[in-house]
Amino acid sequence: MRLHFADYLIILVYFIFVIGVGFLIKKKIKSSNDFLTSNRSIPLWITSLAFISANLGAQEVIGMVASGAKYGIMTVHFYWVGAIFAMVFLGVFMMPFYYGSRARSVPEYLSLRFDEKTRGLNAISFAVMTVFSSGISLYALAKLMETILHWDFDISIWVSAGIVMVYTFLGGLTSAVYNEVLQFFLIVLGLSPLVIIALQDAGGWDNIKTLLQPEMTHAWKYMGNANDNPMGLHFMSLIFGLGFVMSFGYWCTDFLVVQRAMIARNMGDAQRTPIIAAIPKMMMPLIVVLPGIIAITLMQPALASKGYHIPTNANGELDYTMTLPSLIAHYYPTGILGVGITALIASFMSGMAGNVTAFNSVFTFDIYQSYFVKNKSDRHYLLVGKGVTVVGILISIVTAYIAKGFNNINDFLQLVFGFVNGPLFATFLLGMFWKRTTGHGAFWGLVSGTVAAAITHGVTVAEGKGGWITPLYTIKSGMGQAFIVAGVSWTFNFFTTIIVSLVTKPKPDEQLKGLVYSLTEKQKYHQQKWYLRVVPLGILLLVITLLLNFIFF
Amino acid sequence: MFKKLNDLQFVIGLFFSVVAVILLLNVMLTSNVGGKLNIYTGAVFLVFGVAMMVIRKGKE
Repeated sequence: MRLHFADYLIILVYFIFVIGVGFLIKKKIKSSNDFLTSNRSIPLWITSLAFISANLGAQEVIGMVASGAKYGIMTVHFYWVGAIFAMVFLGVFMMPFYYGSRARSVPEYLSLRFDEKTRGLNAISFAVMTVFSSGISLYALAKLMETILHWDFDISIWVSAGIVMVYTFLGGLTSAVYNEVLQFFLIVLGLSPLVIIALQDAGGWDNIKTLLQPEMTHAWKYMGNANDNPMGLHFMSLIFGLGFVMSFGYWCTDFLVVQRAMIARNMGDAQRTPIIAAIPKMMMPLIVVLPGIIAITLMQPALASKGYHIPTNANGELDYTMTLPSLIAHYYPTGILGVGITALIASFMSGMAGNVTAFNSVFTFDIYQSYFVKNKSDRHYLLVGKGVTVVGILISIVTAYIAKGFNNINDFLQLVFGFVNGPLFATFLLGMFWKRTTGHGAFWGLVSGTVAAAITHGVTVAEGKGGWITPLYTIKSGMGQAFIVAGVSWTFNFFTTIIVSLVTKPKPDEQLKGLVYSLTEKQKYHQQKWYLRVVPLGILLLVITLLLNFIFF
Repeated sequence: MFKKLNDLQFVIGLFFSVVAVILLLNVMLTSNVGGKLNIYTGAVFLVFGVAMMVIRKGKE
């Protein structure tokens, strides 16, 4: 793939705009709250698009296209089984506690609801995960640019990290959120032409269904038996592992996305943020799953004349992660090629900035201010927040270089993140809806869930991974293994939390008002029009999601 | 103009308008092989960009 002047010019214009946004926001930053929480002043349309864009990083865009090529339409389960239901649940049931408690972060909510040790455990694991995720994202960007454009690895690392550092350092969370919205439009509008021309080239959806194996174009039909579908999953494992544990764990408890709703102007907007975001999210498979299915169709003998191939790796196997870049290279001419490459760069930078801004909020408020330096001036915490932004990006750069030297570190870190994230939702579910849950219960539940996740991975094998304790059980795909690990860890956390809570002393009711469902005054929506109320909106979204599942059954 | 740059909607509109102009100029000034795709995309970006800049929100 070779870029020309027009392509480079588009990339340059994008860099100028994202840095420009940082400079424009800079003069509005007066306090630590402005820098780290946007002072709860962001309009609904921006929080909603930032909410979805924070999850539109490179792993999502490139990873989902790769999954589309590998697993077919079953990849849409990440959206139509996982994300939408969890986002509606977050908006209707959980945002009132996050927003109403005035907590500045998810770990701070845990401190108010439970105790300091539960907050500390969550804050430290989250801070470590975000900064390393940012580094992996940076490594992936540099590696991709090196592979497809032959750009120098070091220059890609330092330029992209430098740009993210400039705009997050200048404008903090607001700057990151504003750029996420720009990145959202760029990714969607930049990749839409690719989907349209590639779909036309493949002969349309009907031709795709004719050319591919039926299990690649039916979302549910072949899930009655794990051996009949490419993911190797039974539908119950999918619904519990992905639909309930992993999706709710991510969308409802991960501060990286929840933070975008917590900066809304008022409670109504905070609740509507994930629900409005669910509308474009529902359509995202058109941009990130369909291209993968089209790519594998174009490789069928009947379409050999199209001359498209997914590149292979050193072992001669299809390198699915190259599906999207290879489609861009195949279909985009000079000019729009620059748009496509900029969209890829935007997805990496969006993911990195999201991680860095979540990291600096949690580190400053939940680690530094809580455990190290209390009761200092606001200016002090503003400076710390800015300093942590720089340090976070420097750690990301170091992580990127470590990842370059040790390929396995990416898999290892993703694995550890899975162990920590898997059980989280049980803690929040019990904490918000069962007032008897105690701090000791929450803490030991999290610990037991994480240990259970590690053990489950150690006794199961999928695609040659896992089984490091003893390989007792074989699972067809790595994705299936991840769902099962998450399901086991959630179950262990859930029951450990209940058992420990029953034998330890709960907080008095007065301290739990606004933090637990039964002790919180319910929001009254009756005076608003139906399309402003979260419950009717949420039900409408769920009905549409069910219909989509039915159409592509 | 500078005041408008504080408005994210205007900034996004301006970005897509600039990119659209680059795409369209690229077709006009070079013998671009994939000119049609650049023209269609540039036109859509231009319409979107101008709409974002021009359509003001209710509060204004």
